[in-house]
Amino acid sequence: MKQFRISLAAQAAIAAMALGLFGITGCTGGGDSGATGTKTDAKTGEGGKIKRPPTTAPGNSAKGDTIPIGLVTSLSGDNKPWGDDCKKGAEIAVDDFNAAGGVNGKKIDLKVSDSGSKPEVGKSAAEKLISDGVLGLVGEVASGITMQMGQAAFEKGIPVVAVGATRTDLADIGNNMFRVCYTDDFQGPVMANFAYTELGLRNIAIITDKKLPYSTGLSDSFHATFTKLGGKIIDEQFYETGNKDFKGQLTNVKAKNPDGLFMSGYFTEVGPLGKQAREQGINAKLLGGDGWDSQTIITSGKPGIIGGYFCNHYNDTDTRPQVQDFLKKWAKKFGGKPGTTMGALGYDGAMITFDALKRAKSLDSKSLIEALENTEKFPGVSGDITLKGMNGNPEKRALVVEVTEKGFVFRKAYEGNQVKK
Amino acid sequence: MPLSLQLLAGVDFHTLPQQVVNGIMLGAIYALIALGYTMVYGVLKLINFAHGEVYMLGAYVALFASWRLGFTPEATRGTNLQSSAFNLVILLLASMAICALIGVIIERFAYRPMRQHARIASLITAIGVSMFLQFGGALVLPISPEPNVSGEINPYKGTYQASLTPSPTALVRQRDAAKQPYEAAQKTFDEYIAATHEDRFNLSPKGIEARDLAQQAERTYKDLESKVESAGVSVIVPKGQLVMLVTAVFLMLLLRHLVMRTRAGRAMRAVSHDFDSAALMGVNVNRIVVLTFVLGSSMAGAGAMMTATFLGTPLTTFYGMEAGVKAFTAAVLGGIGNIPGAVLGGLLMGVVEEMVVWAGYSSYRDAIAFVVLILVLLFRPGGLLGSATMEKI
Repeated sequence: MKQFRISLAAQAAIAAMALGLFGITGCTGGGDSGATGTKTDAKTGEGGKIKRPPTTAPGNSAKGDTIPIGLVTSLSGDNKPWGDDCKKGAEIAVDDFNAAGGVNGKKIDLKVSDSGSKPEVGKSAAEKLISDGVLGLVGEVASGITMQMGQAAFEKGIPVVAVGATRTDLADIGNNMFRVCYTDDFQGPVMANFAYTELGLRNIAIITDKKLPYSTGLSDSFHATFTKLGGKIIDEQFYETGNKDFKGQLTNVKAKNPDGLFMSGYFTEVGPLGKQAREQGINAKLLGGDGWDSQTIITSGKPGIIGGYFCNHYNDTDTRPQVQDFLKKWAKKFGGKPGTTMGALGYDGAMITFDALKRAKSLDSKSLIEALENTEKFPGVSGDITLKGMNGNPEKRALVVEVTEKGFVFRKAYEGNQVKK
Repeated sequence: MPLSLQLLAGVDFHTLPQQVVNGIMLGAIYALIALGYTMVYGVLKLINFAHGEVYMLGAYVALFASWRLGFTPEATRGTNLQSSAFNLVILLLASMAICALIGVIIERFAYRPMRQHARIASLITAIGVSMFLQFGGALVLPISPEPNVSGEINPYKGTYQASLTPSPTALVRQRDAAKQPYEAAQKTFDEYIAATHEDRFNLSPKGIEARDLAQQAERTYKDLESKVESAGVSVIVPKGQLVMLVTAVFLMLLLRHLVMRTRAGRAMRAVSHDFDSAALMGVNVNRIVVLTFVLGSSMAGAGAMMTATFLGTPLTTFYGMEAGVKAFTAAVLGGIGNIPGAVLGGLLMGVVEEMVVWAGYSSYRDAIAFVVLILVLLFRPGGLLGSATMEKI
């Protein structure tokens, strides 16, 4: 009988192709931090040293009675929880600013566009907004998308204020790039200082998601600072995004008996890691970065993750008046509390842009870049933000929060310039 | 130092028994899922790419069932709900039943219309179904914030610990002696905080002194504890995961009984041997194909329910991707189409992965499975237990 048959080898080849395809499409754009490709270096925090290429394009200027500002954020896809909060935060900023009179009576017109959690979609969304005449862009929550947006905006001379993109080299694109969050080579040192001094830990094991550049970069910067302080990294283990069973790595960790365990990945894997670590009899203190920022970590990591500490941009138990004020407005407009830090960062990203418009010489992109560059001690919800001479990377405060059954509780704040790196 | 020794520089023979146990538990789940791939291939000569997505849906069924039983995120927050083995059985049966149904639906509407066409058409359809479930599922299933089956539904808390060689008593005594000063120092610091109402993380100089003393005592004790731990050899198994292993083994034995000892099983083997001849001999092949999907998909459902419940991973519609790839590899490794081969392949993959971790190369854990696969296929193209058949062209 003549029959078309594909050999097993051919099927396996197709399988491999298909899986490769799935690997790409299924790849998460990466929560709050996206792809962080850089190692720790001295690029940030010592503002003014590296000259960023200036953008030469003319940009847009305000023509009508309103001032158009664009917001690109992930309203669908993997980063939706962050993107939604970012949009809501920015909307509160618009209400606040317009109610206070806008810029000489001219109101802000916020144009929102969805990046679908994808870099290429984010790029075309930014291009569309620019051709619609926005003076400046706010967003994105993830570094990979902001990278693409930044390139497009640089070519057109439009400023970008990134919201949650912590990738260190992001602002090197050009002098149009700014952000309202800290960078990855800051939160690693913060956690190292906290672990060494406040918790008195000396022997720490690191578990890294080797598929996430964010995670490897954060582990590196933690490693460097912790050893510099005098602690020891006694074990390093790796896993990949999507893994579910970590018993093997945890068995190795347990044999070394660390007093602390630094887990630099995202909450999707860190929750189960914390749960399984406790089951394997590991009693070390658990530590991590802003990739932990989701309430899901509590439900999935219970009971192991309870009592862990991580570094975050802001916390709603913080007593600063800006925070409490922001929370009141949020509760009034949307009810409840923001689920992630992106609510506060979205507010700050939008507000710092509007604030710069007020100080700008004229209502065009070029003056806006100049005014943003001259921002000093802007009292944001997530801390004071200074962009002057910082190459777009503010020295922001970072908060260490503790994971409890009921939520994340603020424990200690580190100002941008008081951390030993 | 010879290379072979250098490569093993990071190993610790104290943890070898634990890692073998870990590997078997990991492999048992791979084996359960691999069964679905291998059975469908055996009967239809089709690689069912949507199998990983059936597994994903099984995890969601377990989630919804757990919500139905009252273990919602709101209910479990901050309280301790009591659960029982009965709840786990409900979750397991729900996942298996719904997955079986989903498997049948996929077969009926996606694969059966393609059966008379070139085999590549079915293969592409399978990939299409897989992507449809991943991306279409994201539109209707809860994905943000990522939900997870509450760990509270597992009544088997705690661990079994078997001590293979005990630690030297002298060390143990030393550790126990250090415990009292450690606890005393902690107490002193706690009392200091209670008396002065200082913030633990923003202490006065005097507070820092008290804290450092407490930390010092803690480190001394922990160091001794660490010495005790590393001197003995023991194996720890979380009770929940032991339940998982026992259930997996039971299901595999049940499947073996069904396939080898029942009439339907015999018919299934006949269809697998020669589809057309079996049909000519009066076997209702459609019914057998449906049965194959029922059995294979329910095994995936059982695996999904167990990983979702006992490992704690939050669910997304890509939940089945990694497990699907691994299980497919396990099936090919054991000889695709061969049921004992799938089990052997799964267990082997699990153990090999944990051996790689044990040797200190955890960053290669996910790659090693494919290295083993290539090696096996080079020397035994049909897989470990498979028979390499000549292809007619």
